Amino acid sequence: MTEISNSRPVRPRPKLRTFLVAAFLIVFTVFSARKVGFSFSTFWEMWSNPLWEKFWPVPWEWIFDRHNVVDPLLETFQIAIISTLIGCSLALPISFAISSLTTPNRPTYFVTKAVMNIVRAIPDLFWAKLLVTAIGIGAFAGSWALSIFSLAVMVKLFSETIDGADPRPLEAARAAGGRHAPSVSTGVFPTVFPAYVAYALYVFELNIRASIVLGLVGAGGIGRVVEAQRQYFRFDRVLGVLLIIFVIVLVIEQVSVALRKRLI
Amino acid sequence: MLATIPSKPQNKRLRWLLAAILLAGAVWSIMGLEVTLARLLNAPSDAWNILHRMIPPAFGEVHQRGVVEKVFESVYIAWIGTVIGAVVSLPLAFLAAMNVSPRWIRVPIRQIFNVVRAVPELIMAVIFIPITGLGPWAGGLAIGIHSVGTLGKWAYEAIEDSDDGPVEAVESCGGAWISEMRWGVLPQVMPTITSYWLFRFEINVRASAVLGMIGAGGVGSELVSQLQFRNFPEVGAVLIITIAMVLTVDTLSGMVRRRIISGSEPTKDRNQEAVIDLTGIRTR
Amino acid sequence: MIRFDNVSVTYRGGVKALRGLDLTVEEGEFVVIVGLSGAGKSTLLRALNGLVPATEGSITVNETEVVGASAAKLREIRSKIGMIFQTFNLVHRTTVLNNVLMGRLSAVPAWRSTFGLWPEKDREKAMQSLERVGIVEKAYVRASDLSGGQQQRVGIARALAQDPLIMLADEPVAALDPITSRQVMTDLQRINEDLGITTLVNLHFLDLAREYGKRLIGLREGELVFDGDIADVTDETFQQIYGRSITEEDLLTTETRND
Repeated sequence: MTEISNSRPVRPRPKLRTFLVAAFLIVFTVFSARKVGFSFSTFWEMWSNPLWEKFWPVPWEWIFDRHNVVDPLLETFQIAIISTLIGCSLALPISFAISSLTTPNRPTYFVTKAVMNIVRAIPDLFWAKLLVTAIGIGAFAGSWALSIFSLAVMVKLFSETIDGADPRPLEAARAAGGRHAPSVSTGVFPTVFPAYVAYALYVFELNIRASIVLGLVGAGGIGRVVEAQRQYFRFDRVLGVLLIIFVIVLVIEQVSVALRKRLI
Repeated sequence: MLATIPSKPQNKRLRWLLAAILLAGAVWSIMGLEVTLARLLNAPSDAWNILHRMIPPAFGEVHQRGVVEKVFESVYIAWIGTVIGAVVSLPLAFLAAMNVSPRWIRVPIRQIFNVVRAVPELIMAVIFIPITGLGPWAGGLAIGIHSVGTLGKWAYEAIEDSDDGPVEAVESCGGAWISEMRWGVLPQVMPTITSYWLFRFEINVRASAVLGMIGAGGVGSELVSQLQFRNFPEVGAVLIITIAMVLTVDTLSGMVRRRIISGSEPTKDRNQEAVIDLTGIRTR
Repeated sequence: MIRFDNVSVTYRGGVKALRGLDLTVEEGEFVVIVGLSGAGKSTLLRALNGLVPATEGSITVNETEVVGASAAKLREIRSKIGMIFQTFNLVHRTTVLNNVLMGRLSAVPAWRSTFGLWPEKDREKAMQSLERVGIVEKAYVRASDLSGGQQQRVGIARALAQDPLIMLADEPVAALDPITSRQVMTDLQRINEDLGITTLVNLHFLDLAREYGKRLIGLREGELVFDGDIADVTDETFQQIYGRSITEEDLLTTETRND
């Protein structure tokens, strides 16, 4: 092409910044590895640890005894179901309050958003441990913890979807003289409802995964079996429970994916 | 004829069915968990009571116990876990992607990803702790292995979404498979995959904080021991420090992710798209 | 010399893209292939370098059989056949020079190219290719920062870097504006004349075909329906190839139709 002069350009030197970033990443990784106690020799040695034999054979008759695994497992599902229902229903009004599209006023927006960000920054099992201390060991505390955490996750996902919704139906409803709440429910809600259902299913999936491990901090569900058996060094039973958990997570994920596909 | 039935009523029936299942599930759960009105009404005041006692937070005391070290240990664990996940998952993802890998090799590798992904980090740490002993290495290993599963899945999906054109070009030049991957696919997907790595790092920071609660290193152990002795001002301080750590990592990593992604496709907010992708809800 | 002997291509799903094609192209020819979309133009080019396997017949490039060749043999055949694409098929997120160096992949050991340790003589070759298409100035620019016409020139340079004996161009100007289209076609023509590279170009603009071609091949539903000197081609020939009358959409510019 005529506008380009046909002379070879000088090869640009690699940027100093690239070197600095690369050097920082390498140094940080090596430093972290040392702090964490990683070394290739420990990595290889650990596979020949004789303790692995304690994981085998799995005592299936113990696993399939109703009181040992099935009951705690049902409790896990109950925690997940109730906390998904509580979390997702509370999330509905709060999401509309903190979406920039539908918020009733600025102070509500900022305060709610800040609170939700802080709630989400505390990991789910921290919530569980705190509530176990506050209201006693068991599934009740676990349900509270997961309700709070799934509320925060749901609000984040759903409010961002509302942010991206088409603002024109809302404008139309307002132009017709509608008050705030009815305008939102007729103008925005129908367009974002399918996303809400899909997120709810996703949150349910998260809650199943979380409720499995809640028991490790005393908040009920199948995790308490794992915790108790590892205290007794019965790693064979731990492995058995783990295999059950593994199958359940796989099945739940498949079902959830299939349902979401149908709904969206 | 089945095909001529409009889909809408069927959809409606599905929704009613779902609603009925939800209601039944709720009743079953409430009964099973022995939720009584008294417990329900008492819980908020109990929770408030504890929250109240956390103020003012005792930063001095937890600092003396080395909480800063613990917080950084959580970050190191998350970082090492992410690096292990990234390094192991990247080559495997190429072998798992439909468009570049034959069926007999991609199916088993996907199964490995699925298996690894289905085991929560905490459970994995429970297995590793007797082998490695209590400490951060159990946490790093658990997070690393779990990350291989998630990062591998996200990476092969990114590879499958890539444009075939450059691969065809490399093929037409007589390039080998490794060249097709290195020059046809890698430059296309690297920004997306790097941002996935960072996103996973953000998740792993939370996970490593939690891992401390069962003795796999990091800030979680401090929370547990303070709660055990009901030192609520100290608990408050640990919580605030944890929140600060999580938010700082999220903010920094998010900034880098946005920079990486902004170069590739200016049309959409890829960041949000990535979040949605990562949460498993693929809208495209 | 390229020889197609009774070549058929059937895609999975049963679509027949080529039916019993016989064709011989001598060294240094400039062949333009026309036909409606779906007539098998792309398949013809891709069967020649094995990107699409022929299901029947025999294709030889300088006496080497393409049909049924092993992966290694195919790579060897492809290393001497350059190809340029309708959508350019550049890697957008890397430099122009890296894109052109991909043409050297078959000449460089895989471990070197994988780590970007290209030998100096291959870098030189890539630079010369860029000079030939007049875009060497942009060697260290990211490919995504170039215009469509410039990107196609990089595509040509990549093919040239292979030191090809044959150049295949699959609708090289379909994504370009009229002026750029002519520039790219002129480049291809010059390369054919200067270096004697056998060139096969798919086009759907008939006026461009007439302007740049020497020999014209017409395909219709996978069969060869015309093969002859461009000088003998009339509007009726095109109508016969297309099976319908010629419209303005078949022409790059409407003015050329009147001259």
